[in-house]
This record gives sequence, C-alpha cells and structure tokens, in this order.
Amino acid sequence: MTAPFSLCLSPDRSLHPRLLVLVDDVAVKSSHSLFFNSLADRGYKLDFKLASDPSLALKSYGEYLFDGLILFAPSTEQFGGSVDAAGILEFVDSGRDLILAADSEMSDTMRIIGSECGADFDEDFNAVVIDHLNFAISEDSNEHSLIAADSFVKSNAILGEKDIEAPVLFEGIAHSVAPANDLVIKVLSASSSAYSANPDVSLGDPPALSGSKISLVSVVQARNNARILISGSLSLFSNKFFMSPVTKFGSSKSYDSSGNQQFAEEISKWIFHERGHLKAVHVGHHKAGELQEPQMYRITDHLEYSLEIYEWTGKDWQPYVADDVQVQFYMMSPYILKTLEHNGQGLYHTSFQVPDVYGVFQFKLEYNRLGYTSLSLSKQIPVRPFRHDEYERFIRAAYPYYSSCFSMMFGFFIFGVVFLYHK
Amino acid sequence: MASTAGEVRALLSSLRSAYAATPTKLKIIDLYVAYAICTALIQVIYMAIVGSFPFNAFLSGFLSSVGTAVLAVCLRMQVNPKNKEFKELPLERAFADFVLANLVLHLVIMNFLG
Repeated sequence: MTAPFSLCLSPDRSLHPRLLVLVDDVAVKSSHSLFFNSLADRGYKLDFKLASDPSLALKSYGEYLFDGLILFAPSTEQFGGSVDAAGILEFVDSGRDLILAADSEMSDTMRIIGSECGADFDEDFNAVVIDHLNFAISEDSNEHSLIAADSFVKSNAILGEKDIEAPVLFEGIAHSVAPANDLVIKVLSASSSAYSANPDVSLGDPPALSGSKISLVSVVQARNNARILISGSLSLFSNKFFMSPVTKFGSSKSYDSSGNQQFAEEISKWIFHERGHLKAVHVGHHKAGELQEPQMYRITDHLEYSLEIYEWTGKDWQPYVADDVQVQFYMMSPYILKTLEHNGQGLYHTSFQVPDVYGVFQFKLEYNRLGYTSLSLSKQIPVRPFRHDEYERFIRAAYPYYSSCFSMMFGFFIFGVVFLYHK
Repeated sequence: MASTAGEVRALLSSLRSAYAATPTKLKIIDLYVAYAICTALIQVIYMAIVGSFPFNAFLSGFLSSVGTAVLAVCLRMQVNPKNKEFKELPLERAFADFVLANLVLHLVIMNFLG
C-alpha cells in the first residue's frame, strides 16, 4: 500500500532529476559510459559539460538548475562560467547531492571542496595508494597501485541488499576522514597493509597515511540530508574497470568481472536518495479514548502517540518498517523512553502514562541509523498538576487532622457545659 | 550541687501547694488547655513522621488546637478573681466572649480543612 502523497521526493525536485556532469576531458563521457547509462536508465537527465565551459551555471535567477552534481574533473583548477568552489559548497548546503571523484592529478580546488566536505586528501601531490598485499594482478604495472578492495561498510541501505562478492578495483589517491566526524562514513576502506606514497621515489620516512585510516571511497550525509560521495579514483567508475576480471594477489579465486559496476550503481542509488530517505508524517498524540490533540495534559493521564514513517524508493513512498524507533517524553532529561510498535504499514504508535511531574515536556524522536536520513522530531506539550477539585474528597493522610478538629469542637462543648454548671 | 537540688525540690513543692489553693473553676480551664496543647503536639509529631502533604489540613488541625488553647487562657485570665485588671468584668460576659470567639475559630477551621 503506497501512501497517498505526490509521487516525487520533494516539491522542488522533478520526476526526472537533472544532473550536471562536469568533466575535464571529453573522452570521460565515453570511457565511463556504462555508469552514465545506468543513471540515465533510472530516469535521470544528464547534462555533460567541460569544467572550463564559460557557459557553466548552477543557478539561474536564484533558482538551482540541477538537482545533483557529478564532478569527474579532478585536475580542474578553475571552473568556467559562474561556478566556483564556494558555489559548489552552497549547492550542497541547499540540500542537493554531489559525487566527487579524484585522481592522481588532483587540483587544489578539488582538494578544497573535498576537505570542506570532510575528506582530507593526501597532501603529497604525487602520492597514490599502494598495497603490496591486496593489489590486483595486472599486466600494466608492477607498482601495486591497482588495489582490489573488499572491506565495505556493513549497510544494506548504502550498498544494497545483495553482497558485493567480487573485489572493487581502485587506482587513485588516498583520503582520510576525521574520526570525530560522525557525518562521514568510510564506505570502502583500505586494508591494513595499504599506504599512500609516491611510487617513483623510495621512502625515507613512514608515510603519513597508512593502513585502514585510508579511506578509498567515503560518503557524507549532511545535516540537511544532502549526500556526497567522495572517491579517490575516477577510474573506479570507468568501463574498463567495470568489465575487467579481477585476480587478487595471494588468492586463488579469480572473478570474471569486478564488483565495480554493482558498487557504483548501488552507491549512486543511495547518493541520489533512491534508498534510505525517510520521511515522518502525521505525528500526533492524544489522550487515551479521545481523538483530538489536547492543549495540555494533566499528571497521571494516559496518552497515545503515533506517527507514520515512509521511505522513498525512487518512484514512490513505501512504509518503513523497523523495530527500533523510540520516542522520549523529555524535559531536561527523558522521563519516559518507549520503543514504538508498528503495524507493518509504517504506522508507529505507543501509549504510556504521563509521569507525576509537571512542567513543559517534549515528545522527542531522534532516529539516526547508518545510511538513513536522520529524523529529529519534537512536539512541545505542557503538563499541569491536579486542580484542587481533582483530589479525592477526604485524603487518608489527613485523617488525624480531621479528627483533631472535631475533637476540639467536641471538647469545647463539653468544657462549656462543665464550666457553667460546676458548683 | 546538693543545695540546688534541694532548692529545686523546695520550689516544686511550694508550686504544688500554691496550685492546690487555686479555685476548681480555674483548674478545669487548666485541664482544658493541657488537653488542647497535647493534641497540638500529637499533630506536629505526626506531620514530622508522615510529611506535610495536605498542608492546609495540617495547619487547620494545628491551629484549631492552638487557637482553642489561647482562647481558654484568655478566659482563665478574665475569670480569675485575683486578677485586678478584669475586676469589673462579669463572669457571664467573659464566657460569652469565649463562646463567640470559639464559634468564629471553628467556622474558619472547618473552611480551611478542605
């Protein structure tokens, strides 16, 4: 059952999203045609331009002309037209997606864009990733810079349901991500025997970037849910790598074709929001037994909270099913934390009793899972104490006081009688 | 040391013999005051143990005892023949004032009890 919403991801994104592909060499369009055709087959409108094209523009009269940007131009120092590094970062800040591919001739402009997005490329201009234990056997070079990588991040949302069995061929430069940054995810990391160095020069000191600190491909999910892919190798997306067989050094298994095509297609699906994009609608709460949302609750009331979560599949919104969505009843710290039950159709609900504390509470729902957009919902509601006529009529704890008052009145009466009629 | 103990004992015995000489009417009032103060003390101890949850009920009960004690003390002062201040006040008038004040006190207490 699909939800009765408009069949597009968001109001300002059309049914066939437009992607701008910037290349620095026209040959890239044909040498990476399998990747571009897979995007076009899924309904995207691709616009190929040289990065130095003087008619380049991302915006026209303040409105963005494209919904996504693919930068396959690693050696571009300066863009043509009205595009520059700041403009591209603004593009991402507006919630639009970006794919950035680097190569061994990476320019400073591209490095700046990468580091603003959270990926720090190796500063050595000539360094490439070298791995003497995990390289793919190839006839072209003996430098062991063609890596066969298979340490993927474990996420069905980012890489799809099917496992990528063949290793992914990678030939390019290394970047690292700050461990404190929780918005960046290393999708394909290098093995512990990899390092980043210039293959033509013998090493004097240990290299700065080595081991699994090196990220080969990372993704960033920004707080406004824009998604960025940063790959250290442009040839990862090339037809040559898609179709070439892989034999990893030291392993007897050889694959007829590398995992590059599956990897690139699945990750591009995630980048362009075809997977893992959540939306929460119809967030509401009401007193048990009623239908309307009240202005205020009273302590020890019973209430019910419900919402619906949908996931965008590329064509429509499907109900999102998970067992770990939790809601908090929060005032400075959560007084109640409950896991929501769902009915399998995306409707999540729970019921609980308001705690015996009054104040202004919030229904807080924070949902951050790897590969999914973050849901951060909060609804404020005041909670009042009992009104003076909502207590029980005779309070049991006050019985001694009631009895003392009546005994005083009775004693006064007896005293009066005794005092007056005493001889 | 022995002398102070002896002095205290002499003080107490003279107090007891002086008190035995008071008129019976005043002794009745004293008994009534003691009863009211005892009830007040019991309520304070109860509140210290259980907590002051219906605070208005506690105040109401406590102040009814204390107010009764105060009014009884006033009556005793006005009725005592040895008291020069109230020599012209007739006993009936004093008692009527006492009754009226108690009526007001108990009306307020009942209202505040909740």
